[in-house]
Amino acid sequence: MSSRPLHIRFFAILREQAGCTGCEASSAAADAQQLYAELQQRFPGLTFPAHLLRVSVNERYATMDAPLAAGDRVVFIPPIAGG
Amino acid sequence: MFELTNTPIEAAALRARLDAPEAGALTVFEGRVRNHHLGRPVVKLEYEAFDEMAQREGDALVAETESLYPGTRVLCVHRTGSLGIGDIAVWIGVASAHRAAGFAACRHVIEEIKRRLPVWKKEHHPDGAAEWVNCTTEAAAQPGADEYYARQTALPEVGAAGQARLAAARVLVVGVGGLGCPAALYLAGAGVGRITLVDGGRVERSNLHRQILFTPAEIGAPKALAGAARLRLHNPAIEVTAHDGNLTPANATALVTGQSVVLDCTDNFTARFLVHDACRAAGVPLVSAAVHRYEGELNVFAPGATGCLHCQWSGQGADALDAVGSCATGPVFAPAVGVLGIQQAAETLKLLLGIGEVALNRTRLVNLLDGTTLAIERAARPTCPVCGRPDGRAAPTGGDPAALLTEEQLAALPSVRVVVLLEPGESLASARYPAGAIGISASDLVRIRELAQHGPVALTCRAGIRSAAIARLLRAEGLANVHGLSRSR
Repeated sequence: MSSRPLHIRFFAILREQAGCTGCEASSAAADAQQLYAELQQRFPGLTFPAHLLRVSVNERYATMDAPLAAGDRVVFIPPIAGG
Repeated sequence: MFELTNTPIEAAALRARLDAPEAGALTVFEGRVRNHHLGRPVVKLEYEAFDEMAQREGDALVAETESLYPGTRVLCVHRTGSLGIGDIAVWIGVASAHRAAGFAACRHVIEEIKRRLPVWKKEHHPDGAAEWVNCTTEAAAQPGADEYYARQTALPEVGAAGQARLAAARVLVVGVGGLGCPAALYLAGAGVGRITLVDGGRVERSNLHRQILFTPAEIGAPKALAGAARLRLHNPAIEVTAHDGNLTPANATALVTGQSVVLDCTDNFTARFLVHDACRAAGVPLVSAAVHRYEGELNVFAPGATGCLHCQWSGQGADALDAVGSCATGPVFAPAVGVLGIQQAAETLKLLLGIGEVALNRTRLVNLLDGTTLAIERAARPTCPVCGRPDGRAAPTGGDPAALLTEEQLAALPSVRVVVLLEPGESLASARYPAGAIGISASDLVRIRELAQHGPVALTCRAGIRSAAIARLLRAEGLANVHGLSRSR
């Protein structure tokens, strides 16, 4: 797959680990799982384990193996704690 | 209505927004910041939200709750920013006519917020340390999971490996009624990782005596949504999906494909044939049950099974079968659907774990009135329009209209011998049977086969269900002389 632009935002523990609130990525990652691995390369502090993450694509929950399209807004969701 | 705010929550003002003359109840839940967590003192909390998505999820949650509990009006406000001890972090108010729906709706909103609202909180401790709640590896790894399943994993046949197989499994429950409710509840408790409930119906008061996932608060609610919410309360660690619609020819393949096992918990033949054929085409094991009054039957159809549903019913139209056999509106002894639904759960767990003996070549008949269980060999009908054909595709044909005779058809067949299958303690005088009927023991299939050598036989019994099941099983064996006799209601 060729690279396409993706919009990444980080919240909570991921924001602190990455050291920023998000980034633009040009990525060939097939799915969110691969994208997170790429981001961990780019942000060495991003050590939160992938198997405990959920992901949202364009503000909706998606699965880590769902395909990503150019321009998708991707947010990795660490364990939530509302209420 | 759902709102996010970074300013302190004023409860009185929110309560006033739910004032309504028709509301006999205002149920309020306030989530507050407490001064301790997991044994450590806490001095303040910081809440952070993914605003756009939290707003979308919150709107959807409020709409879903108002549909689950018809007649309720929900207002929910969630704080963000820095909060001190005692501050309100979330405020949920439900205006309703009566208390039951109010309490239930309030509970639903807070449980779902904790499950899906993208909001995080960071705890600050007196020593200056701070950490994101649930984000330490230990806390995130399903607290208490080992203890939840301890008595199950202690079974040598299950163990940790079996529990992992259940967690990885996907099960589809078609029909969330008398069978589907207990079946799904036990599958959820056992830790089946992903359960999808399919039902387009709404909860009715007349469902409640047997449909144990629902209470009077859910009357009018979509069954799939209400059932899913109840299963999540039972086991928060599993993923439950609600499909608020019936299985149809258009969606059956998509719903069934990829499932580990499918449970047929429907109450009509149109749906039974549909789910059966979809499972057969997709190669997915099907655990099927049906109940009439005090009796039920259980079949497991899977690759390697003897025969299929069409062998037994042999091309008879679903409409005709529903006319005599549907349990959608008839009287039901609640424990009968309970026992059969739980047996479906048991067979499903055995299939998933690969343990025990799953009978792929027998039909199990359960009678709660006399406490008996019969396992009858199931024959594959060589001329079956589905499994007898090389391509295995359904080809509805004229089939076997004689399998179940009406009393009018019986009168037109003067040489037929009427045989009443009697349970222990029953006699021919126990119920009204046609003149000239003879009685034999219900489990004496050898005697029925003998009688069929000498002429046509019409089988009946007190309810007419077990006799009809035995008749179609014997006909599938090739005994075309054996008929069922439908009991007039």
